[in-house]
Amino acid sequence: MSDFRYALRQLVKCPAFTAVAVLTLALGIGANTAVFGLINALLVRPLPYHDPSNLVLLWEQFPRQGLERIPVSVPEYIDFEKGLRSFTQIAAFNYSTFNLAGGNVPERISGAVVSPALFPMLGIEPIAGRTFAQEEQGEGHDDLIVISERLWKRRFNSDPSLIGKTLLLNGRNYIVIGIMPAKFEFPIPLFNLQGGQFAERVDIWKPVAFSQDELKSRGSRSYGVIARLRPNATSAKWQAEIDTTVANWVKAFPNNYSARNRFGAKIYPLHEQVVAGMRKGLFILIGAVAFVLLIACANLATMLLARASARERELAIRMALGAGTWRLLRQMLTESIALALAGGAASVLLSVWGLELLKRVGARTIPRLNEVTLDWTILLVTAVVAIGSGILFGLIPALASAKPVLTEALKEGGRGSTSGARPNRVRNMLVIAEIALALVLLVGAGLLMKSFARLQGVNPGFNASHVLTIELSLPQTKYPSGANPSYLGGDSTRNFYQETLRRIARLPGIEAVACTDILPLSGTNSDWSFSIEGREMNKNEPGPDEEIRVITPDYFRVLQTTLLKGRFFTEADNADAPPVAIVNEVLARKYFRGGDALGKRITLGDPRKPDAKWITIIGIIANVRHRALELEPQPEYYIPHAQFPMRDMILAVRSAQDPRSLTAGIRREIQSIDPDQPLANVRTFDRVVSESVAPRRLSVVLLGIFAAIALVLAAVGTYGVISYYVVQRTHEIGVRMALGAQRSDVLRLVVGHALKLVGIGTIIGVILAFLSTRLLSALLYNVGAFDVTTFVFVTISLATIALLASYIPALRATRADPVTALSHNA
Amino acid sequence: MIKLKNLERSYPLAKEKFFYVLRDINLEVEEGDFVSIMGPSGAGKSTLLHILGMHDHGWRGEYFLGGTAVHHLKPKERATLRNEQIGFVFQQYHLLDDLTVYENLDIPLSYRHYKKSERAAMVADMLDRFQIVGKKDLYPSQLSGGQQQLVGVARAIIAEPKLLLADEPTGNLHSSQGEEIMELFCKLNEQGMTIVQVTHSEKNASYGKRVIQLRDGWIVKGE
Repeated sequence: MSDFRYALRQLVKCPAFTAVAVLTLALGIGANTAVFGLINALLVRPLPYHDPSNLVLLWEQFPRQGLERIPVSVPEYIDFEKGLRSFTQIAAFNYSTFNLAGGNVPERISGAVVSPALFPMLGIEPIAGRTFAQEEQGEGHDDLIVISERLWKRRFNSDPSLIGKTLLLNGRNYIVIGIMPAKFEFPIPLFNLQGGQFAERVDIWKPVAFSQDELKSRGSRSYGVIARLRPNATSAKWQAEIDTTVANWVKAFPNNYSARNRFGAKIYPLHEQVVAGMRKGLFILIGAVAFVLLIACANLATMLLARASARERELAIRMALGAGTWRLLRQMLTESIALALAGGAASVLLSVWGLELLKRVGARTIPRLNEVTLDWTILLVTAVVAIGSGILFGLIPALASAKPVLTEALKEGGRGSTSGARPNRVRNMLVIAEIALALVLLVGAGLLMKSFARLQGVNPGFNASHVLTIELSLPQTKYPSGANPSYLGGDSTRNFYQETLRRIARLPGIEAVACTDILPLSGTNSDWSFSIEGREMNKNEPGPDEEIRVITPDYFRVLQTTLLKGRFFTEADNADAPPVAIVNEVLARKYFRGGDALGKRITLGDPRKPDAKWITIIGIIANVRHRALELEPQPEYYIPHAQFPMRDMILAVRSAQDPRSLTAGIRREIQSIDPDQPLANVRTFDRVVSESVAPRRLSVVLLGIFAAIALVLAAVGTYGVISYYVVQRTHEIGVRMALGAQRSDVLRLVVGHALKLVGIGTIIGVILAFLSTRLLSALLYNVGAFDVTTFVFVTISLATIALLASYIPALRATRADPVTALSHNA
Repeated sequence: MIKLKNLERSYPLAKEKFFYVLRDINLEVEEGDFVSIMGPSGAGKSTLLHILGMHDHGWRGEYFLGGTAVHHLKPKERATLRNEQIGFVFQQYHLLDDLTVYENLDIPLSYRHYKKSERAAMVADMLDRFQIVGKKDLYPSQLSGGQQQLVGVARAIIAEPKLLLADEPTGNLHSSQGEEIMELFCKLNEQGMTIVQVTHSEKNASYGKRVIQLRDGWIVKGE
C-alpha cells in the first residue's frame, strides 16, 4: 500500500510528465476500449433473444448461378414448416412499410410481416398487451399489429390505452394488440434479406397473410425464414432433412427446379449471419489499436527509462537501506501500474466520447451500433489492459534500473544519471519499434485512403448531384391491382405517379423528375429471369436472370445517364402500347453479338406459351454501377412503369437549386393528390452515394485516426529519446565545441544518431507492412496491397517527421554554451 | 567483528591490465571499536567503506563479518547479512526527497519486513531519541544540513545494526553541526555499536579509538 502511496506522490510531483503519460495512455488504451466495446456488442454479446445459439436462418441457393442466401417462396416455406422435424419452431418474415394516417402529416413507418410463431421463438415478451396467436394469420385474420415501444413513445406519447385501439395503416384498420420493448429489434439489417439492407428499424409487426399469388408461385422468393433447432439435433440431421425436402420438390416440380442448377437450402446460425461480415474489419481494427497501444507503451517505457536514470541515486539509496531487487521492481511497477490506471480511467472518458461520435457517424453503417455501451465487461477488460500495459511499459525501465551501481550512485559527486550502454540500447530499440509499428499503421491507412480516393473518382454512370430522392409506398387497399398480379398496382397506381410527376415538373426550379423502383447504390436490388426470342433454351437450362428496374420516361435525364443507341422511354410507352425495354451496355454485349440488342425481343414469362408478352428493346444506355461503386456494372434491363406499375417507387428530382429546398413543395403536391400519402426517406442522391461508401469511409477514418495517433506518438517518442541523447551528451558536446566543432558538426552528430534509428525503424516497418497489408486486400479497391507509391510516400513522410522531431533537440544542442556544457555532469 | 585478508579491488584497463584501487588490505576491527579511515583523495577510503557495506562486490580476498565469510556469500545472502548487521551514513545524507522524515525512518524497517505496528513504535522511539518529533512530517528540503544528517544517522541505526559505516558524515556540515554528529557517534559507540568512518578531519578522527591511513590503495598505518 505504501508503494502505491509513494507512486501516487511521484505522479503528483511531476505533473507535466504525468499529464503527457496519462494522455499517451488514454489515447492508446482508449482506442482499445472503444474497439473492445464494438467487438463486445457486435461479435461477443449474444443477440438479444432467448437462447440465441439455437436460432438459425434458412436460406436457399442456386450455386451454379452464383446465388447464395436467397429468400424462400411461400409454398417452399409451407413445406418446410410442415416437413422439418429438426426445428422446434419456424417462422417466415418479410419487410413491409406502413403509411400511418392521422396527425398533421402522414408518416411512412418501417415494418415487418411475421409468422405468429416468431415472438415465442425469440422469447421476447411485450411490455404491454400480447403478441399474435397461432390462428391470427392469413388473409382476413391479419388486422392486428404489435408496435415498438419507440413508436409508442414517439407517436402516441406512451398512451397506456393504445392497446385495443385501431390505427389506420395503408388505408386499412389494424388493432394494436401489443407493445414490444425498446431493445427488441427484428429483423436485424444484417439478415440482408433480398439484398435489401434494413436501414430503418422496424416499428410495426403484423401477421403474415400470404396472397393467392404467393401461395401459387414457387419462383417468387421474398421471405426470410428463421427457426429454432431442437437442442439435440445434429447438423447432419437437419441438413439431411432439408436435402430430402428439396429433392422432393425437384421431383414434384421439374419446371421450377432444375437438377442442373444444383438448387438447395442451408441453414446459418443467426449469430454467424449477423457477425460474419464484420469480423474481418473488426479484427483489422483491433490489430490497429493493439499497434497504437504498443507504440504508446514503447513511448512510456522510454519516458520511464529517462526518469529512472534521473532517479538512479534514489534507487541506490533504497537499495543501500535494505531494499532488494524485487522490492525495487515492485516499487517501479507499482508506479507504472498507477500511471496506467490513471491512463485507463482517462481512456474510458475518451472512449465514451469516441463511441458517441462513432454512433453518430456510423449509425446507418454499422447495424447494432446502438447496442454498443461500455458495460462492466468492457471496464474490466480496460482495467486488465491498463494493468497489462503498466507492467509492459514499466518492466523494461524497472529491470534496467532495479540494479543500480551503488558505489557510483552513492559517491559524492556521482553522476545523477546513468549513461550506461544498456539503457541507451533499450531506448533506441523502443524508438525503432515505435517507428516500425507506426509505419505499418500508416501504410495501412495510406492504402485505404488511396483506395477510397480511387473509388470516389469512379464514374458511376450517373450524376448524383442536385438530385433529391423520396420513397413512396402506395397501399394495396387504396391502390388495387386490378387485372394485374398482386405485386403490381393497377390504373390508380399509374395515375398517381403520372399525376405526381406532372405536378412536380411544374414546380419552379425543377429540371427533370422521374421515378424508379430501385435507386443505384441504395443497397437494394431486384432480378428477374427472361427469355430471348429465337433462342432455344434447353429445358433444364436456366434462362438469363438479370437485374431489372422499373422507371418512368425521364429517369435517365434525371440521372444524366448517356444513351448509346435507340431512344429513352416516352409517355407513349403506356399500358396499351407495345411492351418495350431499355438495356445497359453490359447486358447488350452479354446476350447479343456485337452488342446489337436494338429491336430484339425478350419475355419475362414462358416463351413457349402462345400468349407470351414479347418486349422489344428500344434503347441501350451506358453502364450504371448499381450494387456498389467498386463492383463492375452488372447486366440490367429497364421496363417502363406504365407497363409494370409497381406501387413502391422512388421519386428522383433534378433541380438547379439545392434539392433539399424542394421537399416542402413536393410534399404539398403529393398530398394534394393523396392527403394520406407520406413521403419517406427524403435524402439527396449525393447522400445515397455517400452512404453506399460509408463502411469504407468509416474504415478509412478509423484507421486514419489510429495511424495519426501512432504518428504523433512515434514523433514524440523520437523527440524524447533524442532529447535525452542530447542531455546525456551535453558534456561531450561542450568538449567537442571547445575543441573546435562547428554547429553543423553537432547537428550532424545528433541528427545522424536519429537517422540511424529512423532508418532501422523504417526498414523493419516496411518489412512488417509487406507482411501485414495482405490482410487489407479485401478492403482495397484498385490499389494493390503492396502499392509502391503508398509505401514510398508513407516511409518518406514518417522518416521526415521523425527526423524533424529529432532536429529540435539537435538544434538546442548546437546552441549550448560550451562553458555551461562543460560544467554539466562533469 | 570485521576481518579483511588480502583484499584487493581493481578495475580493468586495456590489454588485461588493471588499475588497483585497493591492494592487499589486511584489517581487523573489534566489536565496539570506533575506527577512522583517513587518507588523501583517491586513496581508496570510500571504496573500502563500500566494500565493508557490501555495496561493492567486485573485490578479491577474504572478508569476515562477525564470523561470516562474506566472500563465500551470494549477492542475495550478502544483502540479507547487510540488512541485519550494517547501517550506513552518507556524506550527502541521501535522504529520499519525496518522503517525510517519518517515512525516511520507516523505510529501512519496511525493507526488513517489520510489522507496521512494530515499525511505528520504532520510528516513534527514534524520533524521540533524536528529538526530531516535531519534524516528522517535514520533507528533507525543509531541514537544515545538520538536521538532515541527524535524520540520516537515525535512519542508519533504526534497524539496530551492530556496525555503523559513515562516509565523511560531517563533510557537508559546519563545525558545530559536525561536532554534534560526532558526539552522537561517540554516544552510540559507548552503547556498544562498532563504527567505521571515513574522514579527512583530524578532529573528527580524534573522536574515534583508532585511525587507519590509506595511500594509493595501501594501508600505510594502523593495520
